[in-house]
Amino acid sequence: MADALSADFVVVGSGIIGSLVARKLALAGASVIILEAGPRVTRGELVARFRNSPRRSDWMSPYPPAAWAPHPVYQPEPNNYLMQAGPYPYAAEYIRQVGGTTWHWAAHAWRNLPNDFRVKSLYDVGVDWPMTYEDLEPFYQEAEEIMGVSGAPNTGSPRKRPFPMEPVAEPYAMRRLRERLASDYQVVSNTTARNSRPYDGRPACCGNNSCQPICPIDAQYHGGLAAEAAEGAGARLLPNANVYKLEHEEKGRIAAALYYDPDKASHRVAGKTFIVAANGIESPRLLLVSASDKFPKGLANSSDMVGRNLMDHPSTSLTFDADEDVWLGRGPQSPSSINTMRDGAFRSQHSPYRLDFTNISRVDGATKSLIAAGIYGSELEKRLRFSAAREMNVKNVLEVLPDPEHRITLSSEKDAMGIPKPEAHYAIADYTRRGHERSQQDFRRIAELMGGTNLRFSKDGDFANNQHICGTLSMGSDPKTSVCDQWGRAHDHENLFLASTGVLPTSATCNSTENGLAVALRAVAHMLGQHNTSTAAGEAKT
Amino acid sequence: MNRLMPRLSSRVAVALALSAVAPVVTTPAFAGDADLIAAGKYIATASDCVACHTAPGGEIMAGGLAIETPIGPIMSTNITPSKENGIGKYTLQQFDTALRKGVRADGKHLYPAMPYTAYALLSDDDVAALYAYFMNGVTSVETRPAETRLPFPFNLRFSMAAWNLLFLDNGPFKSDAAHDGEWNRGAYLVRGPAHCGTCHTPRNLFMAEKISSEMSGGDVGLWHAPNITSDANSGVGGWSVEELVAYMRDGHAMGKSQAAGPMAEAVDNSLRFLTPGDLRAIAVYVKTVPPVHDTADTQPVFAWGSPSDDLAGVRGVALPLDRNSMTGPQLYDAYCATCHQAQGQGSFDGGLPSLLHNTALGRANTNNLVIVMLEGLHRQPGVLMPGFAKELSDTQIAALASYLIENFGNPAAKVTVGQVAELRAGPAKSALVTVARTVLALGALVVIGFVAWLLRRRKTTARTA
Amino acid sequence: MEQVVDQPNAARRLLLFGLVSAYTASLIPWALAQEVTEADTAPFVALSAILAGRQSLDSVQALRLYKALVADDPGFPAAAKALLDTIEQRRIDPMQLQKTLDDEKSPLKLVPWRIMTAWYMGIVGDGAKARCLAFETALNAQAVADVLKPPTYAYGAYGSWTRKPT
Repeated sequence: MADALSADFVVVGSGIIGSLVARKLALAGASVIILEAGPRVTRGELVARFRNSPRRSDWMSPYPPAAWAPHPVYQPEPNNYLMQAGPYPYAAEYIRQVGGTTWHWAAHAWRNLPNDFRVKSLYDVGVDWPMTYEDLEPFYQEAEEIMGVSGAPNTGSPRKRPFPMEPVAEPYAMRRLRERLASDYQVVSNTTARNSRPYDGRPACCGNNSCQPICPIDAQYHGGLAAEAAEGAGARLLPNANVYKLEHEEKGRIAAALYYDPDKASHRVAGKTFIVAANGIESPRLLLVSASDKFPKGLANSSDMVGRNLMDHPSTSLTFDADEDVWLGRGPQSPSSINTMRDGAFRSQHSPYRLDFTNISRVDGATKSLIAAGIYGSELEKRLRFSAAREMNVKNVLEVLPDPEHRITLSSEKDAMGIPKPEAHYAIADYTRRGHERSQQDFRRIAELMGGTNLRFSKDGDFANNQHICGTLSMGSDPKTSVCDQWGRAHDHENLFLASTGVLPTSATCNSTENGLAVALRAVAHMLGQHNTSTAAGEAKT
Repeated sequence: MNRLMPRLSSRVAVALALSAVAPVVTTPAFAGDADLIAAGKYIATASDCVACHTAPGGEIMAGGLAIETPIGPIMSTNITPSKENGIGKYTLQQFDTALRKGVRADGKHLYPAMPYTAYALLSDDDVAALYAYFMNGVTSVETRPAETRLPFPFNLRFSMAAWNLLFLDNGPFKSDAAHDGEWNRGAYLVRGPAHCGTCHTPRNLFMAEKISSEMSGGDVGLWHAPNITSDANSGVGGWSVEELVAYMRDGHAMGKSQAAGPMAEAVDNSLRFLTPGDLRAIAVYVKTVPPVHDTADTQPVFAWGSPSDDLAGVRGVALPLDRNSMTGPQLYDAYCATCHQAQGQGSFDGGLPSLLHNTALGRANTNNLVIVMLEGLHRQPGVLMPGFAKELSDTQIAALASYLIENFGNPAAKVTVGQVAELRAGPAKSALVTVARTVLALGALVVIGFVAWLLRRRKTTARTA
Repeated sequence: MEQVVDQPNAARRLLLFGLVSAYTASLIPWALAQEVTEADTAPFVALSAILAGRQSLDSVQALRLYKALVADDPGFPAAAKALLDTIEQRRIDPMQLQKTLDDEKSPLKLVPWRIMTAWYMGIVGDGAKARCLAFETALNAQAVADVLKPPTYAYGAYGSWTRKPT
């Protein structure tokens, strides 16, 4: 029997957002097909790949790109998939496989602050969101209950109902930070999708300290679980289905998604509603490559905003040696942070930021440095133990403002399937640099309070990327300046929705996943209202 | 004393009076109604009533748990004090008859999914306390589970009378003067309320417990309830009383074993709530159960294994494209080493168990090992080993289990692909009540087929045996 | 071939110490001297012992690493021998070794790095040719194994990491 490749909803991308959107639609009784460019991979294989990797600090090493659906990697050599137009490189990392990039995350599941939704009105920077915190609150909760989120109660994001579980037990090193910084800073548990008790059949954290690149026990939520849940709810997931074009009808309704299988045979999937959930880079890329005579600039792009306003969270950091043994590496990787600089009148002048403490084992990094410095003999082990016990690190997580010149475009180069590669145009704006400068005094004070010596600031002018891709599908009320409305519906296509962190119109200071997910779940609630009406109408006709 | 006496329950009074000769009743002393109810609640916990009489997520003691049997579900009943839907109209006498004789107030026989053959040993006082608890300590629930409707001839409840005549002992537990109070208390708990033998004692042709082989291990569904006689190799002879107590209290005894499946439920619902004294009494008694030795156990089943790993040969080697060709070390690396550690040694604190010196890998019967690998292990509070049924094929599970046994367990034990397939397909997820009670019920039902002629002939032999 | 020798073996000790002077011998742990079984790996093992500064090195691991290093660079045995001789003749302290080689732009200057990366990181080779030979048995994991688990290995039951590490 030939596949009847059509569904009420066709979702492009099986990451955490695409899969949970699909799950919610399927649970409501809709037929759903998910098209995922990459292959299926199991957790055990990823764990084995990590341990067998010669590049353990390269968290992409367990995720080699599929030839037919590449994603950017930078080691051992850059694969030049995400082309760089400069001036500052945007070395994004993401994963094209079933479940997407959250196989590999620190599981930070923050809500924005209420003021993050109104930065234009309040601080005259960026743009206001087309919705308020209150609009989104129930969907934050929904996301948190699906993922199993916990966190401190006092980080500025009010909640109507409690977290589904208690915060994860505080590692000893973080306790010492909290205690010793208490005079100046409130160090709190991060809000994370990590189990502090068995939840939804998954165990509590066992402190494996490899949240990135892979939680080996599923104590943290990830897109692979979301994809499994979507399939469990009845969605049909096709892996290795690399969508290369959305086909539209005469008036602009989307009619079908065309995908290549790994042998480049083309397949067509028809649907009533299409949801592009292929992250903040692949989604705009798909819209752009789907250009047609009627939509020469690409789909959903009458505003010319598709791919623009690329944002992330750049970070700079300070590493120092504390005056006591704390032994980072016991417990989860990213347990604690300072949240007092996330909002304030200063936002009109410089970027706000979170201050994040790492708990990642220093052992591999210290070993490399010591060997590179020619430390041999019995001195090596001595110094290695010292570094492993004493080294600490704090980084800032800086806000980036939307700028249309920072963008994803199509490269003139093509990937193995003959599809134009994405190209990044990016820079670090002064607003962000000023935030970095402001944070240096916090870095110094934190080191001082920890009795820190041997202070090593990250190289001046270097900003690490955090893979929180935002802005490229920005939502807004004005079709002239945004790609989609508050429901993720493309202004130009009535049956095309965008579900991705790309729709977030500003980046704020916290990881984008939960914000993108909550916006998408809210959109699904809206779609279902509409879908039910239209289905009822359709049935009445037949 | 005289002024106090009237306020004490008769049970406690008896205990005080007879403590020298009948030390069975050493449950913490209770006085007054509230304490009688508390005493009853304690015995109800020891008896694990909740396991059957509460459906998952349902109201306490309101029944409604369908105990699947091959001939149809036996539905547990509402035993809350509801007069309409529960046992609120039961007199103490009727309650006692149901509990210790297996006959309901309406005169109909209970199916022995209800372990009344064990409860028959309950003391009068414990029955009275249980009655007080069920009448006054349980919230009345006004729901009525569906009636059990087994097909003919199994719907003929009166035929249970035959089975009862064969296998239901009369009278409550009698202390053995040759042993001290602790031992007698243990014997009472083990054989009576805690009904350990329901799983751990093998069964005869009619699925009644073979008392001659008490605690020597039984198969309950696909699970194997191990030998817990005092045999040093096959049983728990090598366990200290403290280790047995830790196992019952925590579900885990370091360097020995951890509770899984039905036993994990028994720990969760019942054993962990018993007093330290009662757990100790159980342990003391169990350690005196006559040894039953299995010649296959050439050393204690908890004593196998030494730290080892084959990871060197695996490092830097790509996984085979056909995942069914993954080697034992590759599978161990990907799925087990994370928690049980590179050399099978477990975590620093033992919170994640060692695979060495672990009965899970030391027994000839490997069913429990395979079921845990498939379904995981779940225990309160917060113990969860994930299962790998979804991730690993039968071939992979068999290869991995064989590797585990070879490296960390008794290498004479075997796991086959066919066995894994069977366990995967079978009722591996069965709750304690399903696996344990089904067997008992089935035994009774077997008897029904023989009722007419077998009854009279066997009656005499069974009584005299 | 790959057995670990239980008893001190005079011949093997002789083999190893035949290669080195009293100076380098003083840098080599006694236990290790008992494990050298092959004449061609002896310089590598001696050099490893000097560079790693460990009381003992696993002989099976030594052979695996050696084979991998040779596979990468057929000139490795000669380079290892030459470096050992250099240390020997000039009595170079391990802590001064790299600086000395770098200052002199010695052709041997990468040899210590290779050997140490192999033992401490479990990695042999560079860039795309790099491969993993050890993870949990790499010496950097072993060096802290009393306090830390290598990443991906569970530290312990939930919450066990709250305790002060000792």
